[in-house]
Amino acid sequence: MARIGIDIGGTFTDLIACGGDGQVLATHKLASTPDDPSRAAMQGAEELLRKAGLGFGDVEFCCHGTTVATNALLESKGAKTGLITTRGFRDILHIGRKNRPYNFSHSQEIARQSRPLAPRRWRMTVRERIRAPDGAVEAPLNEDDVLEALARLREEGVEAVAVCCLFSFLNPAHEQRIAELARRELPGAYITASHEIAPLVREYERFSTTAMNAYVGPATGRYIRRFAAALEKAGVPAQLRLMTSGGGMVAPAEAERRPVNLLLSGPVGALIAGLEAAREIGRDRVITLDVGGTSADIGVALNGEMRMRSLLDTRVGDYDVMTPMADIATLGAGGGSLAWLDNEGMFRVGPRSAGAAPGPACYAKGGEKPTLTDALVVAGWYRAGHLAASVPGLDPGKAEQAVREHIAKPLELEPGQAALGIFDIAVSNMAEAMCVASVSKGFDPREFTLVAYGGAGGAFAAPVAAALAIGEVLVPPHPGVGAAAGLLSAQVRYEFKATLWRELDELDCAGVAARFDEMTGEATARLAGDGFAPGEVRLRRWAECRYAGQGHELAVEAPSGEINAAWANRLRERFDAEHQRAYLRACRDIPVRIINLGVSACVPGTPLTPLIGEAADRARPEPLLTTDCLFPGVAKALPASFYRRAELEPGHRLAGPAIVEQTDATTVIPPGWSARVDRYANLLLTPEPARNGNAA
Amino acid sequence: MNISELWPGLDQARSTGLGAHAERRWNRVEVDPVSLQVIGGALHSIAREMAELLVRMAYSSVMRESRDLGAALLDFDGRQLCESDSTPMHCGSLPAYVRGIDRKHRGRYRPGDVYLHNHPYHGASHSPDYGVLLPLFAGDMHVGFAGCTGHMVDIGAADPGFSVDVPDCFAEGQILDAVKLHAAGQRREDLWSLIMDNVRTPEANSGDLEAMIACCRLGGERFAELIARHGLDQVMSAAEEWMSYAERRMRSRIKQLPDGEYPAPDAWLEDDGKHFGKPLRIATRVIVRGSDICVDLSGSSEQTSTGFNCPFEGSVLPAVNFAVRALLLDETAEGAGVPQNDGVFRPVFAHAPKGSIFNPIYPRGCEARFAQINRIPDQVLRALSGALPERVTGGNAANVSCFVYSFESGEGKYRINVEINEGSYGGRNGRDGLDAVDTLMANTRNNPLEEMELSVPMLCERYELRDEAPAAGRWRGGMGAVKTWRFLEDAAVSSTGDNRSGDPPKGIFGGADGLPGRVTVNPRTPRERELPAKVSHARFTAGDRLEITLVSGGGYGDPLERDPRQVAEDRLDGLLSIKQARGSYCVVIDPVSGSPEIAATESLRRKQAGEAA
Repeated sequence: MARIGIDIGGTFTDLIACGGDGQVLATHKLASTPDDPSRAAMQGAEELLRKAGLGFGDVEFCCHGTTVATNALLESKGAKTGLITTRGFRDILHIGRKNRPYNFSHSQEIARQSRPLAPRRWRMTVRERIRAPDGAVEAPLNEDDVLEALARLREEGVEAVAVCCLFSFLNPAHEQRIAELARRELPGAYITASHEIAPLVREYERFSTTAMNAYVGPATGRYIRRFAAALEKAGVPAQLRLMTSGGGMVAPAEAERRPVNLLLSGPVGALIAGLEAAREIGRDRVITLDVGGTSADIGVALNGEMRMRSLLDTRVGDYDVMTPMADIATLGAGGGSLAWLDNEGMFRVGPRSAGAAPGPACYAKGGEKPTLTDALVVAGWYRAGHLAASVPGLDPGKAEQAVREHIAKPLELEPGQAALGIFDIAVSNMAEAMCVASVSKGFDPREFTLVAYGGAGGAFAAPVAAALAIGEVLVPPHPGVGAAAGLLSAQVRYEFKATLWRELDELDCAGVAARFDEMTGEATARLAGDGFAPGEVRLRRWAECRYAGQGHELAVEAPSGEINAAWANRLRERFDAEHQRAYLRACRDIPVRIINLGVSACVPGTPLTPLIGEAADRARPEPLLTTDCLFPGVAKALPASFYRRAELEPGHRLAGPAIVEQTDATTVIPPGWSARVDRYANLLLTPEPARNGNAA
Repeated sequence: MNISELWPGLDQARSTGLGAHAERRWNRVEVDPVSLQVIGGALHSIAREMAELLVRMAYSSVMRESRDLGAALLDFDGRQLCESDSTPMHCGSLPAYVRGIDRKHRGRYRPGDVYLHNHPYHGASHSPDYGVLLPLFAGDMHVGFAGCTGHMVDIGAADPGFSVDVPDCFAEGQILDAVKLHAAGQRREDLWSLIMDNVRTPEANSGDLEAMIACCRLGGERFAELIARHGLDQVMSAAEEWMSYAERRMRSRIKQLPDGEYPAPDAWLEDDGKHFGKPLRIATRVIVRGSDICVDLSGSSEQTSTGFNCPFEGSVLPAVNFAVRALLLDETAEGAGVPQNDGVFRPVFAHAPKGSIFNPIYPRGCEARFAQINRIPDQVLRALSGALPERVTGGNAANVSCFVYSFESGEGKYRINVEINEGSYGGRNGRDGLDAVDTLMANTRNNPLEEMELSVPMLCERYELRDEAPAAGRWRGGMGAVKTWRFLEDAAVSSTGDNRSGDPPKGIFGGADGLPGRVTVNPRTPRERELPAKVSHARFTAGDRLEITLVSGGGYGDPLERDPRQVAEDRLDGLLSIKQARGSYCVVIDPVSGSPEIAATESLRRKQAGEAA
């Protein structure tokens, strides 16, 4: 039997198969098929299973990370989307928060206006109004208005409708009725209501989230159904699971209902895999660095759990979307990122990218500008004949020429120095982003383990770690298919939230208990529907609080036990502590207000435990070859040993400078660092004490 | 060079870069190109992180939701090293705040000191914008400041929040002239009490002020870490290089403009908030000499007797700087990657005669200054429209509409909400004007209506684009919004702004003019009445309605050149009627299909063009 993870990215589709005991049976990588991503997925699955000596009938679990919803958005190929809202508020989506993305620009565009998710012609208003603070009906719903609006949308051939009423998070009755009528009147259309998607205060953000859900809904639904059917036809007995932006798996029905939750699932897999890999060796503070072709994703996780981004920071592309998302920072620094001098001679790296075509100069596919990959080639770390020669005929001459012409000559440097400069700038950009992602949230990066993913993550990890005084770098056995591996160890997870808006001192305890019970009931029912027994489900209750008067809430896990005055006190203590940690200050004399209540329900994933062998000390392995390479902070070239990852065994120790090659990735052990292979076949890089990690 | 040589007759012209270059407390060292990137990136992320913390911790909605705030690191001369990406007004004024406290305390700063400043005649943007400055040290040497500014809901003015009709700056609230809030790490509790006992919203002010202090502390810690990592000489030399870089980029763009004088037509403000019907003049010319540029406001109205004047250092200089930077170094175009630091300010000069509305004499009131200063960038666009036709815009709303709603709930408790309403842009080359956004110097956010209604007894009945068609043009003007509130309890209301009633945003290159705004009480009822944009100490009773209609921008280019399909799209979106499409654009739309009739349109346009010729 096998569990398979399929991660579809923009360029490549990555797959991994594991046995029931967690052993990796096979990994596979093939080009994605953007017109119908399920084609590469099915073909890849077949090839993967063949490699593992298995067939479709052996698949007992299949988890999938898909960018279908994201692509629909990026390519502006979403549904014809209508919106029904409270009369007087037709343009909430258009006006938004009335700010502009840039301060100093008269020529900027604002996506919500130039590329609206639901254009004004399909934004209909109906007479109705719910009022604060109790959700009372200020004006009853006028159903004639609704029917008239629906008739118009039907006539226009609208494919999806977002139902967005003011204060629906306090009282969803009007939205529910409108949605009911819409499902009756537009039977083929995708209907979604804001209280179902994000029952939270702040009308623009809630409407935008709901409109986004409608916009990507039909395409996502079609894709999921098609893929599930293909799996069934192939004889896969397992039910398909899909990864969400929050790092949980959901069943196809849930994914179809709330596709907006899938939008940023791409980078989550590597973070989950990193958490899992670190947990196996007893580390619970993890920073992941996933360096791909155009970008680097950075995730920070504490206590073995990924952190969610504040709902005020959650955007997808140019749109505001209020859904749970793992807190992952993305910066424009990948293998294809260009190094360039601006017209005042300032030396810059990224965010411009050479993309897949023409790509880095060393690929000899017409690219002439130097990229990060070219810098690594000039430094000597990527060599012609590298195992990961996904591009046959890597041309070091072209890399050097590009670096010399565009950077070295104008700056009067040697090409090698220029290449290391490119590398250093990228390292510093990554370290800066990592610093913002950790230090600014109150975490000390020195206590963390850095886990590297992606083809180039292992080349950057040690210097980035050195910049932040991180003492340990973990490069898992298959860094190039990290996201796919993460899919296999993900939890099944549902999250529910509801706005309460009540001061802790004036808590209606029975009311809070009822809200929690309601959400808990819904969560367990949903999981039962997915075939999980109540015993497997782990429930947690959350409260998002602020000091009365503040505008931004912080989430704290709600204390267990009965909701009463003592519970409120314990919650208050937790909130004060969290505020102190996050903002360096607690205000113990100011009342605390609960804004939202939340329940998360999860079924823990099956950890990967690819135990390879005991890590008895072994002799140093024989290098494949030894050749001169350049390293940051070292004046002249040093002889570096090259190794094949597949030939390394638990217990092997390597001293830097050394390069470890494998088919999907390269790891660089700089001078002053050493590495050992642990019993899970991870490479663990540490600075040598004498050098104290400051080799760079 | 002597100022009078550069700007003959403009002895008072001032560089918008306020930092002196008197001395240096570090050694200027060579910084390699890589370290330059590393340190530059770190500086920017420090400022961003500071503003982020401020937004998250702040109490008042004007700071946390509207984000009417700014944060920066500055050197000991007040030269701005980096700034957050928040409101341009705020960041641009921080160097002036440093000057304000420097004149009293320079040479006596100690680690752990925290200064609070809002004196509008000594650098503050206006008195409600508190500035908090934390001196930074390397060892025991003072090297700079971490600073931030933020708009306080109430600072104890004559009316809750503010009002325009006041005799002098003392009626605009408590003036805190470079007071030392913390001495060597200890808060001065008597001073703190004095400040909080004299405002109507002590809880919000305390929370906001504590957030500002935490923001500066964070900036200080990050800066200390940066120095620990790279050394003071490296960090400051890199910062100086980034300033020089920004200055070079700015100068090379200015140099592309031919030397000379570029006058703009006079612009008019409605009134001073007391003498209604008496408009105030804004005279503007732009002068270019080599790589220097000056905005001269000579000939503008005399200072007013109300609060409708502009602090010169804290408001006019940042506005002039913004005007030049946004036009010549557009962040999304040629100005990408140019950091907003002291270098950008250096080649940009401003001149406004003493005693004028843009340079009032103490102690004239000067709280309500935004409606005037936001016209400066708009005037600069008009002045340079001939020189840079592709870069300028049609007339922008270029104003402010700021309301304060105050509810007294007994025992001296107030609930006060400051609402900053948007404007809209004029049409741009290749793009329609932005609808319903903050314009130019302003870039704040609205309060979510749902947050407002949960916080104050008001109910919103409408928030949409206004009903009138946008200004016609090849690229149409942006549309203002309309917002209608119903009061659920009795309220005191003040406002400031300018509806542009006498001088709406001008169309450009053949585009139509935009539309003025208006403020209406109880619209479409027998009790309907119009209010001026500047309302002082007004009272509303429960059940009253207030409708605020905001300014629409002017069009860009000849409407007859607008793509008929685009006109038809606008009509489908309900922005104009079939009749208006024909009247303004000579576009004939088939009422059944909604598509433009190309042949009929062309012939109508030919006919129109023939008549015009």
